[in-house]
Amino acid sequence: MNQLDNLLEERLTRLEAGESLELCLVGLPDDEAALLKKAALLRAIADAEPAADKVTAQRNELLRLAQQNKKMTSQVRNTPSSRPRWLLPTVAFSSLVALTLVCMLVVSAGSGLIWLWQQSQSASVAQNTTDTPIAGATQAVLGPVATPEVIAVEASDPQSAALNSSRGLIEIQTNEGAWVTAKNGEVVRAGQRLRAGALSSAALAFYDGSRARLGPNSEVSVDTLDAQTSGGPRIVLLTQWVGDSNHQVAASTDPASRYEVHTPSGIGTAKGTAFHVFVSSTLLTRFDVDEGAVSVTSLSVTVIVVAGQSTVIISGQPPSEPTFRIKGEGEVFKIGNSWRVAGNTFLTNLTTVVVGDPQVGDWVSFEARTLADGSRLADRISLLHRAPENRFAFSGIAENMSSEEWTISGRSVRISEDTEIGDDIEVGDQVAVEGGIAQGGTLWAARIRLIEPEKLPFEFTGVVESIGNDSWMISGRVVAIDEDTRIEGDIEIGDIVRVKGQVLEDGNWLAKSVRLVEKDKREFEIVGPVESMAPWVVAGVEFATDDRTEIDDDIEAGDRVRVKGRILDDGTWLAEEIQRLEEGRPRRFKFVGEVTGMDPWVVGGIELTVNENTEIKGDIAVGNFVRVEGRILEDGAWLAQKIKRLDSRLGCLSFSTVIRSADAQQIVLLDWRAVKLGEGIEVKGEVKVAAVVIVFGCVQEDGELVIINVIVVYQLDSIPIVVIKPPSDNGGGGDGDHHDEDDSDDD
Amino acid sequence: MPELPDSELVVRAQQGDLNAMGMLYDQHYKMIFRYLRARVGDQLLAEDLTGDVFRRMLTGLPQYRSLGLPFRAWLFRIAHNLMIDHYRQESGREMASLDEDKTESQPQGEDDPAVVLEQKLRFENAHRALSELEQFQREVLALRFLGGLSLRETALALNKTEDAVKALQRRGLIALRLTLTEEQP
Repeated sequence: MNQLDNLLEERLTRLEAGESLELCLVGLPDDEAALLKKAALLRAIADAEPAADKVTAQRNELLRLAQQNKKMTSQVRNTPSSRPRWLLPTVAFSSLVALTLVCMLVVSAGSGLIWLWQQSQSASVAQNTTDTPIAGATQAVLGPVATPEVIAVEASDPQSAALNSSRGLIEIQTNEGAWVTAKNGEVVRAGQRLRAGALSSAALAFYDGSRARLGPNSEVSVDTLDAQTSGGPRIVLLTQWVGDSNHQVAASTDPASRYEVHTPSGIGTAKGTAFHVFVSSTLLTRFDVDEGAVSVTSLSVTVIVVAGQSTVIISGQPPSEPTFRIKGEGEVFKIGNSWRVAGNTFLTNLTTVVVGDPQVGDWVSFEARTLADGSRLADRISLLHRAPENRFAFSGIAENMSSEEWTISGRSVRISEDTEIGDDIEVGDQVAVEGGIAQGGTLWAARIRLIEPEKLPFEFTGVVESIGNDSWMISGRVVAIDEDTRIEGDIEIGDIVRVKGQVLEDGNWLAKSVRLVEKDKREFEIVGPVESMAPWVVAGVEFATDDRTEIDDDIEAGDRVRVKGRILDDGTWLAEEIQRLEEGRPRRFKFVGEVTGMDPWVVGGIELTVNENTEIKGDIAVGNFVRVEGRILEDGAWLAQKIKRLDSRLGCLSFSTVIRSADAQQIVLLDWRAVKLGEGIEVKGEVKVAAVVIVFGCVQEDGELVIINVIVVYQLDSIPIVVIKPPSDNGGGGDGDHHDEDDSDDD
Repeated sequence: MPELPDSELVVRAQQGDLNAMGMLYDQHYKMIFRYLRARVGDQLLAEDLTGDVFRRMLTGLPQYRSLGLPFRAWLFRIAHNLMIDHYRQESGREMASLDEDKTESQPQGEDDPAVVLEQKLRFENAHRALSELEQFQREVLALRFLGGLSLRETALALNKTEDAVKALQRRGLIALRLTLTEEQP
């Protein structure tokens, strides 16, 4: 069935592309041909148009409303302090400028603008890739935190900047040296210092349109600020003491204009460009450039870093020679001194930042640099999704309860001292259980909780932004506290806490417990009605999804759902699973395991019932890992509704490099890899020798890197001198063929 | 003037560029209308809902995440939600009942009454056949073949996987084999 689906889709895609029906029918089995004809008939019938006068009227009305919004926003900009706060959301239209398209793209750092642009390109390309894993993976690599900035409040004068888009805990230092919480719209002037806590981020909007965004755990001071647009040079001088920041610098016609980011190790100077600055706690500094060029100076040595490149300054040393970057997402295949992710090998050293303790099988984002010898050094590896392997979750009736084992809807579940068991559960209650599947199919419960259909529980980890008598602000959520709330630990503003509670009828969130947790534990879980699906909002919480978010079918606005996910570095809530809660039919399961039998089906030691309605995706054989979803039937049988083979090497990435040679048919990259043009590869810009390009592609299951687009971002005068020798096979897969030999050396 | 990509137009429109806003309308109103017309079976209602879709687009544009959902898929999701809202408001009423002749407004651009009648009958035939499908089969076929969305856009608009969309469209087309005839009634 799957093959027929794919065959039909291939012909439909050709039909959509304008190929004639007759040609599309060639070689198609009769049944499929009949379906294709029906699709063509449907398309032909759809050829209707609305009344012309209505179209004109609607268009005019749309523009009138847009103009109205624009005028109102303009008024807000002119009188920011006098405008009532309640008016801001209604007039935000045109002032909601997409700031530093750079900033939030892939987990926090790097070449955001390029990525944003790439995404828009790759999305259209992916439409043509139909059934390849590329489309999904393309979404995955760019999806999770790719929220374009919105600027609600612009700077009112050249000598001030306006704080925008703050998430988490943002603080500003007073003249007396004390740190106080800063809110959106706050005016920041020269001499002030700003910091973002864990899981926090904020943007500064300057008068000339330049933007700076602070990432989590970062601190920046505004040294000089005169972002004038006429009458003299624009001067913005910042010092970044620690953390990440992204900068989108507005172009200035005055050659004396300066936009500089000083760090404890060196200075980056830009004129009309986009770049990222990272300062580690050990005072290592890295500048990544996304657009244009940035000169980076340390110890009187200056290097010019162009789009697609990075340089590193180790304290007390001059900046390193600029190197090209690679970033993306993928599954971890190996960890240790070198990591293997998305078919690529990355070296790590003491400067590599690893966030979230990723393990083999997890899905991570990565940022790395290509060194002179062609090897890749990871700057940052961040956990995005935990591997789902051998985990299960289902709900049912607690039929028997002992200290070692429970029976839930006919299925035995082992209990250990680590099992977290909800309060007040009795035999006969409906419970939800989740845990791991051990060898042989034994289910070990990690957590069992009571299902209370009328209640809307929530649970999340966040940063404490304020502490009041009746309510706390935690990662942007106001959480009510009452006399029954258990506060565990000596909690202060800025701490990371785990909050459990219940959404009340009036929409307020009441905490049952608040406790200190480790920073790496950032999961959240909420239950509530779906208020919106674009963007997703459940129980008042807006969260992001990506291609790896598992979303139950048929969810509509108003449905009750359970959302599980993680809070990313910058405070974004990223859902990993959105599960529709079906009162009355709650017995579902979902797990990943190894196929040990197919007649009958046995996965992870569990025998499954498979029928004609079971959707089986991929060519599955014994030994493969699969994800299984289904329902537990009344007789206790586990009916598989969907069995899907896991793709283990998928991932998408972008890397910058230089074109060694180019003609109409192909380009040869710095590492001697040849990329044939015109085979579904989209090229933006003029490909010439010594052009810096960003290459975006995805790794397929067989390890082959499928290139999707090539974007020219800068033109160098000459090809950089590197020591990479031409490989014997130019068409190779992945993009790290020359250093794959270290695969087994160092775990 | 060549069509600019949605992503660029969206950013410009978010910055208050009225030309970009107008171009977004120009590039998408027809497909949105066709989708709605096929779904509601009523020319006038589809025209009105099309206007509502773009008003809602204007409201939601500042919050639109270009990387979460392609713009076109987002627009069709708005259209879908509007249509659902419309029928919820008129609870008890069958969705686009074909017993009523609600296509009183003639398709535009055709003056020949015979052609108009033929188009109307063909459309009613298609609409009737579609309305007999299961909900998601109907949605998939409407988005793909009436709205002109790609497989990926359709999947994103419906929050489904591409595999699921492929399966739904196949099952939908199989069902249409029995009900959608090429001959006119």
